[in-house]
Amino acid sequence: MPDSPATLAAPEVLVSANKVCRSLGGRPILSDVSTEIRRGEVVVLIGPSGAGKTTFLRTINHLEQIDSGDLFVNGHRVGYRKLDSGRLIEDSTRTLAKQREEIGFVFQHFNLFPHMSVLENIWHAPVRVRKIPKQAAVADARRLLARVGLADKADKRPASLSGGQQQRVAIARGLAMKPELMLFDEPTSALDPEMIGEVLDVMKELAQDQMTMVVVTHEMGFAREVADRIIVMDAGRIIESGSPDQIFNNPQNPRTSSFLSKIL
Amino acid sequence: MKFDWTFFFQSLLTPSPAFLTGLILTIVISVVSMALALVLGTLIALMGRSRFPILRWVAGIYVWIVRGTPLLVQLMIIYLGFAAIGLFKFEDLTILGISLLAAVQAAILGLTINESAYVAEIVRAGLESVDRGQTEASMALGMRPGAAMRWIILPQAMRIIIPPLGNNFNGLMKNTSVLSIIGVSEMFLVAQAISSATFKTFEILIVAAIYYLALTTIWAFAQALIERKLNAQVGNDSAAVPVFKRVFAPRVRKQLVLEGAENA
Repeated sequence: MPDSPATLAAPEVLVSANKVCRSLGGRPILSDVSTEIRRGEVVVLIGPSGAGKTTFLRTINHLEQIDSGDLFVNGHRVGYRKLDSGRLIEDSTRTLAKQREEIGFVFQHFNLFPHMSVLENIWHAPVRVRKIPKQAAVADARRLLARVGLADKADKRPASLSGGQQQRVAIARGLAMKPELMLFDEPTSALDPEMIGEVLDVMKELAQDQMTMVVVTHEMGFAREVADRIIVMDAGRIIESGSPDQIFNNPQNPRTSSFLSKIL
Repeated sequence: MKFDWTFFFQSLLTPSPAFLTGLILTIVISVVSMALALVLGTLIALMGRSRFPILRWVAGIYVWIVRGTPLLVQLMIIYLGFAAIGLFKFEDLTILGISLLAAVQAAILGLTINESAYVAEIVRAGLESVDRGQTEASMALGMRPGAAMRWIILPQAMRIIIPPLGNNFNGLMKNTSVLSIIGVSEMFLVAQAISSATFKTFEILIVAAIYYLALTTIWAFAQALIERKLNAQVGNDSAAVPVFKRVFAPRVRKQLVLEGAENA
């Protein structure tokens, strides 16, 4: 059975990537990316721009296609069926949607729905997608909004919120689906400096609550403090992976040292 | 020059039953054609965004041909051309107790086809105006393409789509006068008939013009109300402009200037 490898019988592995490749217009974006992410683990992806961090993150919920390789979330192959010949056939939109229900995604530019109130942004998908009764979903949305410190903004439009507040709403929106995994794509890169802290604080709390998180970020303080493991990417490859202590204090790869020396 | 004021006011204030029937036919044909064109045009627009190239191709050719040829020629082809070559001949019909003359059927079909191409372009532009991130956020929350379109994309596109659609309906109502050529007894044909019977050509044409002006003016108010409601929904300030002003003030330039100032 190519779609259920033995390694995934162990439930603690939530994300498993094996030789994931992706190229665009003949240029490789991801080359043989392989890693495993355990349940409850916080993994931070770092590396120079163009390294493929965001692309790899987006393949995990199939916002980005892959050309070859095996990518599993919770034991299910993401985005494709694999034929015996090894060819990948993209799943139907129904299957893709089902898979994505379990994976929260936080965008660099928030992508809140501007025509809905803050509260509706949060309860909309649980009601329309998960078919949760509206009353329960709204109550849950209020609880989540309080959790990110924005209980008083429930009836506001997203546009009337600051960037940091919008991103916190976006995190609450992702959590409302009760995902097993949260992906963060440079969640603070579009924010004014004074708002970065409030978003990182919410993410730290999330990490303390044992949420499995994969975070692409340039916030090295956050990586050092919160990450269980740091993955360093360069030119579409994982060049190094280890604990924050290892990566920051004793990097093995010269390209890791060179990258860190530029940004620290 | 002798203007027959008595005849003019008589025709204007107590129009003959034939003239009133023509007026009603003008309204009915406009509304029915627009409604059908909205459905057909939206379909064409969605085809234009399909992932199947053949559908995009068909939609492109359709819009190209329909927008590139005159309405009058299209009507003649549908009503007379098809019959002449033995392809299709319209027959008088009775549907649900309402008799539909052959010419009226051809008129509705012709106007629907002609208008649908413009609707398709308007809808396409509206859909394209919605940020790609909105689609991605919807997908990441587990929505399928149809649900994302229904709940996220279309409501946002509406604000862009409604104003030009309203203007097009205004044009469609005036274009019904062309139908007199294929013998649809709408208002203009009745006016011409009265003119040849009474030789009060100028008077009756002015009366017809006033009725067309009344139709388009009533519609302008309706359109302003709809736009105001839509803008209020997204918390746009231009909702505050009174409807009367929106219809009669030279508003386009003014609004552009105001919006520019707000953005600055």
